Amino acid sequence: MASTTFRVFRFQPDSGETDAYHQDFDLAHEEKTTVLDALLRIQNEQDGTLALRYSCRSAICGSCACKVNGKTVLACMTQVEVAKAESGSDVVQVDPIGNFAPIKDLVVDMTPFWEKFKAVKPFLIPDGPAPEKERLVPKEAMEKVFKESACILCAACYSECNSLAADPEFVGPAAFAWGYRFAADERDAQRRNRARLYSGEHGVWDCTRCMFCNERCPKGVDPRDAIEKLGAIAFQEKVTKDKGARHAKAFLISMRTGGKLNEQLVGGYTDPVGGAFNAPLALRMLQKGKLPASPLTHRVKNRDQVTKLMKNVKETI
Amino acid sequence: MRAAIAAHEAGVDVALVTKLHPVRSHSGAAQGGINAALGNETDDNTENHTFDTVKGADYIGDQDAIEVLCQRAPLEVYKLEHWGAVFSRQEDSGKIAQRPFGGAGFPRTCFAADLTGLVILHTLYTVCVKYNIPTYEEWFVTDLVTDDSGNAVGVVAYDMIHGRVETIGAKAVVMATGGAGRVYRPSTNAHASTGDAMSLALRKGVPLKDMEFMQFHPTTLAANGVLVTEGARGEGGYLLNKDGDRFMSTYAPNKLELASRDVVSRAEATEILEGRGIDGCVLLDLRHLGRERIMERLPQIRELAIAFAGTDPIEEPIPVKPGAHYHMGGVHVDHWGAAPHMPGLFAAGECACVSVHGANRLGGNSLLEAVVFGARAGEASAVYAKEAGTPDVPVNAADETQARIEGLLLRENGPRQGAIRDELSTVMQEKVGVFRSDGPLREAKAKVDELRERFQGVVVDDKGKTFNTDLIHTIETGYLLDLADCMVTGAIARHESRGAHSRTDFPDRDDEKWMKHTLAYLDDGEIRLDYSPVAMTKYEPQVRSY
Repeated sequence: MASTTFRVFRFQPDSGETDAYHQDFDLAHEEKTTVLDALLRIQNEQDGTLALRYSCRSAICGSCACKVNGKTVLACMTQVEVAKAESGSDVVQVDPIGNFAPIKDLVVDMTPFWEKFKAVKPFLIPDGPAPEKERLVPKEAMEKVFKESACILCAACYSECNSLAADPEFVGPAAFAWGYRFAADERDAQRRNRARLYSGEHGVWDCTRCMFCNERCPKGVDPRDAIEKLGAIAFQEKVTKDKGARHAKAFLISMRTGGKLNEQLVGGYTDPVGGAFNAPLALRMLQKGKLPASPLTHRVKNRDQVTKLMKNVKETI
Repeated sequence: MRAAIAAHEAGVDVALVTKLHPVRSHSGAAQGGINAALGNETDDNTENHTFDTVKGADYIGDQDAIEVLCQRAPLEVYKLEHWGAVFSRQEDSGKIAQRPFGGAGFPRTCFAADLTGLVILHTLYTVCVKYNIPTYEEWFVTDLVTDDSGNAVGVVAYDMIHGRVETIGAKAVVMATGGAGRVYRPSTNAHASTGDAMSLALRKGVPLKDMEFMQFHPTTLAANGVLVTEGARGEGGYLLNKDGDRFMSTYAPNKLELASRDVVSRAEATEILEGRGIDGCVLLDLRHLGRERIMERLPQIRELAIAFAGTDPIEEPIPVKPGAHYHMGGVHVDHWGAAPHMPGLFAAGECACVSVHGANRLGGNSLLEAVVFGARAGEASAVYAKEAGTPDVPVNAADETQARIEGLLLRENGPRQGAIRDELSTVMQEKVGVFRSDGPLREAKAKVDELRERFQGVVVDDKGKTFNTDLIHTIETGYLLDLADCMVTGAIARHESRGAHSRTDFPDRDDEKWMKHTLAYLDDGEIRLDYSPVAMTKYEPQVRSY
């Protein structure tokens, strides 16, 4: 047997208390008890007002994502003792997933998450009528979208997403993983339209590449990789007018010509009109030595190695 | 969702009501696959599938319904594929791959690695999104509404976010709330699998069929009852006792690990009872399949075994034991999903009993049942709705629910639902398990009666309106008590051993007296049993061996 203090996020709108707070619950439990089992025992034995979502308790329904000692996890898949050992703390703090408004305790309003999921047209749109039997799809082609198909929509990625913290309208990692799952499905006929739909404001290029979604996804979906692959699809489909795509392209040109990043060229190419309005930023960058005074001096030695590297990368995509 | 899609396609207005979000439903936890005689691997046909299912059911499945199931199976699998399901494919042809499964004569189980249920559930949801089918998420159904003539005309539901009760009128109601595995502990089922629709129907006079038949899955994790797919054995996994023997050779010399689930579970229980288990378990050995095969075909199993059993199946065998898994019984409906006792009421999936699974369901037939009879219930309900007039929904339909909830919230001092649930699931596990006999069954019945009595005074800790899970659990516990009562009462009466119902005091199947369905009614708080004949076509009962 082990014993743990659970510091649980409480928000009880019915009580008239409008502020959230943390409440400690002490629980003696078995060594391998999961955070979910512990919370359910607290609910059953100590405080029936504790609210949380959960169902399958085998890491597949996606209901019970929450933050355990600051890290978004599935409560059903996380053992209390492991969480303690990882954080080096005897207290297990449980908070609701981030980037959502609370409803009660650990239950949050997931409406924006579901709306964004629907916004990526998460359904197959094939061309022409279906055949009598199954469509024939090479094994490898189907496996290409298996990883993203394992997304359980638990919103762990959404909870950890830094782009969302800055821009609440950002579509988010899970929805884009689903977007990729259909864009890359060879049975789908909307690849180009999807590339357009997923670009633009709040789209794939707005991802800050912080990698937290990959890090925290409990099912190994790697949403950031999906976003990256959607970027590649956008290029393949020539959907490159978007500011984000132009930025990527400028990056590429800069590397190809100079073998090194040229901020002036990138800035100007990304946003030729709006770029002028960024003069104060450019000035600050210049002061800090982040901007070369002249674009022409910017070349590296051994540029052939950079070219070779880029060729290799291109061949593996 | 399959019913909603079918009804939508038939041109009627349809809405989904669910106490979860649609993608949280427990079908997502189905791992191994869905059966259809596509004949992609070998020369298979629907007749073979039908025979295997009839035999698996231990001859108490309705043969006409099983024919419908197996004949429509390929169409439904193709439909799922057309809607985007990412089925695993054959190496060369690009056709849907099929794997062997328990009780089946041919490799017939289509799969998406070991995430088949998730993929199918998600595929259906994406179609609902495409069709823009309105969905009441986190609305908990508390009552079935009937008009003066006893026709189903809607449901009463409790909005869990805002704590309000509403009546939702409809020309027809299709119930698809899944199983009642939470009657047992441990169970492979989700916390939400509390058999809601069965209890709601029972309380309105609709009988429940074959409730004594609860399937125990042979491979569940010891720690928490989490499922390890039959696909693990389909891919070639062995079952070993503590001496390292593949003991299935004693019990099912031909099919070994791929005998029917009831046979394998009984074999394991016998090994464990006779002292050849390890800490109440036997071992599922996958090591010889090799890392690559395990990673490709059984990735989720590996993940779950590591998380919950601390065992990596690539390195060592997984300790497993039989656990409550699938309930063959359910709302008595015909093979269009229609309830003969209540016009306008339809049911499909695990909450319904058509019956195609009889006394024992074959692996890979539950996802199939959900889509085939979901589709048929959707189609039949649409036909019914088009002919029905404006539903005559009683204005006071929600009063009973309102009063019940207010009563629960006002009551002070009494037992909480958690304690009652724990005692119920424990007694069901101990006395209504893999092996049954009269004495323990009667003790279980006495316990259920006592718990029903105590439930009358149950209190709810949470008095609030917002997301009151305590209140929901309490109402669900009432459902579980109803269903446990039906299961035990049916089991006491059935003096034979058939499929998953194995009586040590009546060890043989008795076709003369017991080849019939049990129907359980609720009369003045007591369960009353009646019986109905099994539909036969051309399959004569034979001795069942594997």
